[in-house]
Amino acid sequence: MLRSHVLTLAAALLLLPALPVLAWADPTADELLKKYDSVMGPENFLATIQMTAHRDDGTTRTYKMTVLKKGSEKFRLSFAEPAAVRGQEMLRQGDNLWVYMPNLKRAVRLANRDSFQGGDFNNADVLRVNYQADYSAKTVADPSRADAWELELHAKTKDAAYDMVKLWLRKSDLQPVKGEYYTASGKMLRMAEFSEFKAYSGLMRPGKIQMKNMLATQRYSTMSWDAMDTHVDPPSGKFVLDDLGK
Amino acid sequence: MFSLLQIAVRNVLRNKRRTAITLAALLIGVSVMVSIRGLLNGLQRSLVQNVVQGQTGALQIHRAGFLKNVLSSPLGLDMPQDAAFERKLLSVKHVKAVSPRILFAGMINVADQTIFLGVQGVDPIREFQVVPLRAKTLDDKQQFASGKVADAMVVTEQLASALQGSNVPKGAPAALLAPDRDGALSGENVTLTGVMKLNMPGEKKIGMVRLDVAQRLLKMEGRATEYIVAVDNIDNIDQVAADLNVLLGKDYEVSTWEDIAAFIKQAMQRQNFILSLVASVFLILMLLGVANTMLMSVMDRTREIGTMMAVGVRRSKILGLFLMEAATIGALGGVIGGAVGSLIVLVLNRRGISVSFPGSNVPFTIQPFVTPTYLLTIVAIAGLGALLFAVYPAWRASRLRPVEALAGG
Repeated sequence: MLRSHVLTLAAALLLLPALPVLAWADPTADELLKKYDSVMGPENFLATIQMTAHRDDGTTRTYKMTVLKKGSEKFRLSFAEPAAVRGQEMLRQGDNLWVYMPNLKRAVRLANRDSFQGGDFNNADVLRVNYQADYSAKTVADPSRADAWELELHAKTKDAAYDMVKLWLRKSDLQPVKGEYYTASGKMLRMAEFSEFKAYSGLMRPGKIQMKNMLATQRYSTMSWDAMDTHVDPPSGKFVLDDLGK
Repeated sequence: MFSLLQIAVRNVLRNKRRTAITLAALLIGVSVMVSIRGLLNGLQRSLVQNVVQGQTGALQIHRAGFLKNVLSSPLGLDMPQDAAFERKLLSVKHVKAVSPRILFAGMINVADQTIFLGVQGVDPIREFQVVPLRAKTLDDKQQFASGKVADAMVVTEQLASALQGSNVPKGAPAALLAPDRDGALSGENVTLTGVMKLNMPGEKKIGMVRLDVAQRLLKMEGRATEYIVAVDNIDNIDQVAADLNVLLGKDYEVSTWEDIAAFIKQAMQRQNFILSLVASVFLILMLLGVANTMLMSVMDRTREIGTMMAVGVRRSKILGLFLMEAATIGALGGVIGGAVGSLIVLVLNRRGISVSFPGSNVPFTIQPFVTPTYLLTIVAIAGLGALLFAVYPAWRASRLRPVEALAGG
């Protein structure tokens, strides 16, 4: 008995110098993806967000909205501005997505990959942040960026926002810094840059994403988080079709 | 000269069987060429009518740069839709009617299903004055075209079946969604009054709503992205296009149906090219037949030629005689073939042939016809061609030595 304890102790002592090495080992792709989800889509939150779409002709349009999230499957978004979309709401339940049109007094089903309010984000970008469920990931070596880990993600479901994603997380604190979004055939659709990192109720995360349209290169959209509270626990009754418009 | 022709005609009539065979070759060749041309003329005329009176109108007016960006449905490239602007368009000579449209991309929702589609917002009355054949593509018993259903919408059969398996119940409530002129998502309730058939190949998931619904949806009251124009006579379109261009200036572009439906024009050019290839092959085969019988004739008539030479007929006369015989047969065959071909075309014209385009399911009748110019040309080609192909046999005849010829070659 004592003998085995001594052996364990000896083994532990022998391994001790190796521990720092273990801590410095490269994070796995799954760990990085988990980190991304925890930063970009915390379990529950209430956020105030602004999206500005910059269009081909140089005009811009800014949308203000609040987003409420509960668990990984439920989102509810309400537009506050501009007047043209005030009262519009969007609801996600699992793979289903609807938009509620106040003038029609009913909800209409939408597709994940439709443009979000005519901008360069798609609906899933805003209302479906669960990369661990949607993608299989592997790390790839990127010699051009020594400061970041590069992940290559392939969609596991057609409901994912994109068929293929390349994601860069900086090594210093594993915050996302850049994303590239591709079709199945490898054509780049969008490119995102993450910036303005700050703490939202204790959660360090990017405060702004700029999404560039790689097909119509004059176009881009920015999304910025004015506030985000992760300590909310919204009731499930908020996430049903009948509650929209109320 | 006249006597030479007389002898030639007599010679042609002398060997009835040989003449009959040659004439038959010419007759079949010429009548087939006339019939095919007639069919193609009818087909092409229907094609043009179908496009001009069923889809595009004779002319279309857009803001400059619209057609280049048509795939992105640029709502920003719009124009006024009001009485003053329309009066201006109608003041142009030969313009018969105009009608506004807005083209945009959107989504239609029925029950819990949402599908992307291309939408045309049209004036439910005037649209069918400019493109009357389009009314035939609607199955909703003129509900849409009556203009009485305020939120009426029709969709293509393809879209309807994608929406509800096979058919959407008439009067089904639906919602039409689209980004408005500023890009914000907007929606309007519509009622599906029926389905329309496609009369042109191209995009299959299409819907048509009333202009005022589209204007409300897109926040574009009093605006349109397109005017379609009908003219009194299709031959005047270039004149009208030029006048409209002057009237509207460089902020607008005026296009003829040929610019809009360029594929139709190209298809017609391709058809014409193929027809001329086929016709050339027919012509050469037919004329080789003539050359062959002429050669046979020279062989058969060696003694006769020898006799003519012996009594002092000059070689040039002999050459002329045989050429004249060939030309006579050629002209005769051409005329008879042309007549038979015209008769076939005339019968087909009276009857009409019902066809439909690939990619469209609206049958329409083609009425073959040929122009007098084409008939004259084909008869001339048959006569002159026969003459040309008889040069060698005639030359052979004129080179015979009288003594040997008299001895029978």
